[in-house]
Parts: sequence; C-alpha cells; structure tokens
Amino acid sequence: MTPQPQSTSAQTSDLLPGFDHTAFDSNAVFRALLDAMSRPGRIYDLPVAVSAPDGLNKAATATLLAMADMDTTIWLSPSCVTKAAGDHLKFHCGCPISTDVKQADFAIARISDDLSFVTDLAIGNAEYPDQSATLILMVDEISDQPSMTLKGPGIKDTHSLAVKGLPESFHAWRAENHHLFPCGVDVIFASETQIAALSRTTRIEVN
Amino acid sequence: MEQTVKNPADGAPDYNFAYLDEQTKRMIRRALLKAVAIPGYQVPFAGREMPMPYGWGTGGVQVTAAVIGPNDTLKVIDQGADDTTNAVSIRQFFAKTAQVATTEKTAEASIIQTRHRIPEKELREDQVLVYQVPIPEPLRFLVPRETETRKMHALEEYGLMHVKLYEDISRHGHIATTYAYPVMVDDRYVMDPSPTPKFDNPKMNNMAALQLFGAGREKRIYALPPYTKVKSLDFEDHPFEVQTWEDKCGMCGARDSYLDEVILDDQGNRMFVCSDTDYCAERQEAGHRGPQHHDQPLGSADRGKAAE
Ligand SMILES: [Zn+2]
Repeated sequence: MTPQPQSTSAQTSDLLPGFDHTAFDSNAVFRALLDAMSRPGRIYDLPVAVSAPDGLNKAATATLLAMADMDTTIWLSPSCVTKAAGDHLKFHCGCPISTDVKQADFAIARISDDLSFVTDLAIGNAEYPDQSATLILMVDEISDQPSMTLKGPGIKDTHSLAVKGLPESFHAWRAENHHLFPCGVDVIFASETQIAALSRTTRIEVN
Repeated sequence: MEQTVKNPADGAPDYNFAYLDEQTKRMIRRALLKAVAIPGYQVPFAGREMPMPYGWGTGGVQVTAAVIGPNDTLKVIDQGADDTTNAVSIRQFFAKTAQVATTEKTAEASIIQTRHRIPEKELREDQVLVYQVPIPEPLRFLVPRETETRKMHALEEYGLMHVKLYEDISRHGHIATTYAYPVMVDDRYVMDPSPTPKFDNPKMNNMAALQLFGAGREKRIYALPPYTKVKSLDFEDHPFEVQTWEDKCGMCGARDSYLDEVILDDQGNRMFVCSDTDYCAERQEAGHRGPQHHDQPLGSADRGKAAE
C-alpha cells in the first residue's frame, strides 16, 4: 500500500547486475573464448561469476556480456525468449534483438530446442567469410569423454569432446558446414560453468 | 556503462584499461575470434588511432590491448631485441595503461608482441605471439586493388604468386625473398608473415602458441591457431630454404640462431651475434661462449644497439 519512491523505476529494479568489473571480466571471458576457439574441443571454466536471467545460463550470459553490443544482432530461440533475458541484454549489452535468425551475429539456443534454424544462420561469403553468425548452444554438460574425436587447426593430434544431448542432426549440419569453408558458422557450447567451441575448420568424428 | 580503471600508483585520472575503450576492444575481440576460426584470412576491423605513429606497430598494439589482462606478463621485441626504442615504448605504454608486468625473458611472458622476429626459444601453449604487420596482403605487389586481391583469395587464385616466385628463381638462381616470405595456411589461404625473416617461417608451422597478426594502417587482423599447418611456398626443384650463416654467434657461440652482423669499429672489424637478445643472454648465463666474448659483463656495449 506504500507508494513506490519516484526515483526507482520498476524495470531497472528487476534487473540483475552485469559484470562486477566490465573491463577485467570482459577480458577474462574473452580470453576463455579465444582459447576455446583457438583449441576446438578443449573445455574452459567460466572465469567470472555472473547472474543469468531467466532464459539464459551463466556461460551464455557471460559470453554475450563480453562480446555483444549495439553493433551485434542477437537472435534467441523461442525457449530462451523471456522478458528477463531481453531486458538484461538490452540494458547491459545494448544489442538489438531480432526475431529473424538470418540477421543474427549471435544466435542463442538450448540443446533440447528444435535446431532446424541452424541452416538459416549467416555463413558469410567467399570474399568475406567472417560475416557469419556464431551459435551459442546452451548445454547441461560438457566433458572430454570420447564421444566425438576432433581434428583440425588448433588441435595437436585429436581432442575428445562429449556434449550431453547433442542430436544426430547436429553432426550432419557440422559436416556440411565444414565443407562450406571458409564460410560457415562457429559454435560455442555453454554450460552453467564451462565453455568449449567448434571452429568451422574442425572435423568431427562421431564415435 | 563504461568502467574505467584508477591507477593506484600515481592517482592519475580514470582512463580505459589498456588505453582502448570497451566497445573498441569488443569489436577487435570479435574480429580475433573470426580470425582464429578462418586461419590465414584477413578480417577487416575498424582500427583506431593510437597515440603513436603508424609504423610503430599500431595494429599489434591494438591486438595486444584487446587481448591483455591484468594477470598477463608482456614482452615486446623489435628485431630480436627488447631494448630498442620501439619495443621499450610499447612495453611502457602497456605498463602504464594496463599496469601489467613486463619482462625481457621469453619464458616468463604470456604475451609477446613482435615486429620482426619469432623468439628462438620454443613457445608454449600458454603464450600468445602478437605480430605488428605493416602490409598484410601478400598479393598486394601483384595487384594493388583490395577488391581484386579479395577475389583472388576467395577463388584461391594463387597462380600469379607462384609465377612471381619462379621469376625470382630464374633471375637469381634461387628465391631471393628473405623477408615476408609468403606461406600457405592449412592448405587454403596464402598469408604474409611480414616482416619476419624467412628464417622464422618454419617456427610458425604447428606452433604450440596462438599467433595473432595486426595491421594498423590497413586495419586487418589475421591469426594462426596453435598446431596449424603453415607451409612456405616453394617448388619441387627449388625447395624452401632458410638462411644459414658460416659464422656462429660471437657472444654465445650459437649456430642455430638468427645472426645480425655488427660493425665493431671503424677498422672494419665485425662480428655476428644472435638477433634474439634474450636467447643469447640465456646461453651466456648457462656458460656458453662465442669467440668474441672475452667474458664481458652481460649486455655489454658491443652488443648494445646491434639490432638497430
Ligand atoms: Zn648468441
């Protein structure tokens, strides 16, 4: 019954904080991402503590806080679309959120989602293969169990990687994606506490 | 939203960590992730003006600024030396703007920024090598237009490049290019390792460390992930060869390192010394001696400005 103070808006008081220290935390998360993309299949711990809004997990949130801004368009799969996630990304990253997956610089989905959208992601073109999307796939568990054997740049001999719940269709898409090189989509697997990546150069053998 | 860092040491006004604002670093970081995903491909980025002239490694400085964190230890080399004006000023720039530790020892560095040389000591997985690149486009001297070179890379049209190298052979009896000798990355992109001497090309192949290249004037970033195949272009009848020296290092006696010729006096006396000063000093500390050593104190005047 007490009237709300005029100075705080209901919207911002619901918001979770972003990084504790923008410069240091962004750098730490980027370095984990750089390591992960440079060494596909190797698993890195999320180096900072972050709060995740409803709809996203911690490593996906940290990845977006570090990498997204007004120059990057985000697409959220339907299962990730919540008011909390939208508000969080708009406030902390200032990034446009599109419902058109073709526009995405970063596409975020859950591993249990219908992943048929992946073939609509931007792959760049022969002259500018960097104009491609990055898929951030939220997963429950990443491990180095040998369910996949990875080869390619960044990998000395082979890396083993297991991602719980990865559907068969994902592997078919990655094989096709590999053939598009230098075009293609790179993937970041994000669990609550860890990340691992697949570069477009990575060859995957499913065991 | 921007957060700045206070320098506790001198109470200087707030400024951006590692000089660049967060938005610029994010943009460079996004380009870096693409660069490692497409080894050898030149990613365009919106380069910023840096408080130093082009030719002083502004591309490398921007890459280092985007990568460096408070726990890093930075080494900067110009030719192989840590003590040239360029190397010293870049090291001081990051010591001031990012308060990072700096070192002259290859083994202690987590990030090494270089203008020419790759250190003689084998780099590790936990190290990053950042190259400052003046001209990123290996096809530029064949075709001046960026739209054309981009198309040639897209179509893997590297025939002209081979013709030019072969002309070199017919003119000189061997490939005369000794710096910026072009390489093929992972059997796909021809890349300019400029301006490293070709002596260092074999070190790029399957290196354990991540290699990042920044060209400031041309605003391009490219990369070699660890353990990536890097092959110097050559011909069956004229295989790629690195420079060799008849002499060994006058100070440490090394026969396996890249040597600079140093004029000792106006009598025409000269000697050869390792261009990699840290490598040479480490060998001397371990007791290795070259013919001109005379047990001078380490880092003596003879060595002084050799690399410049
Ligand atoms: Zn020596």
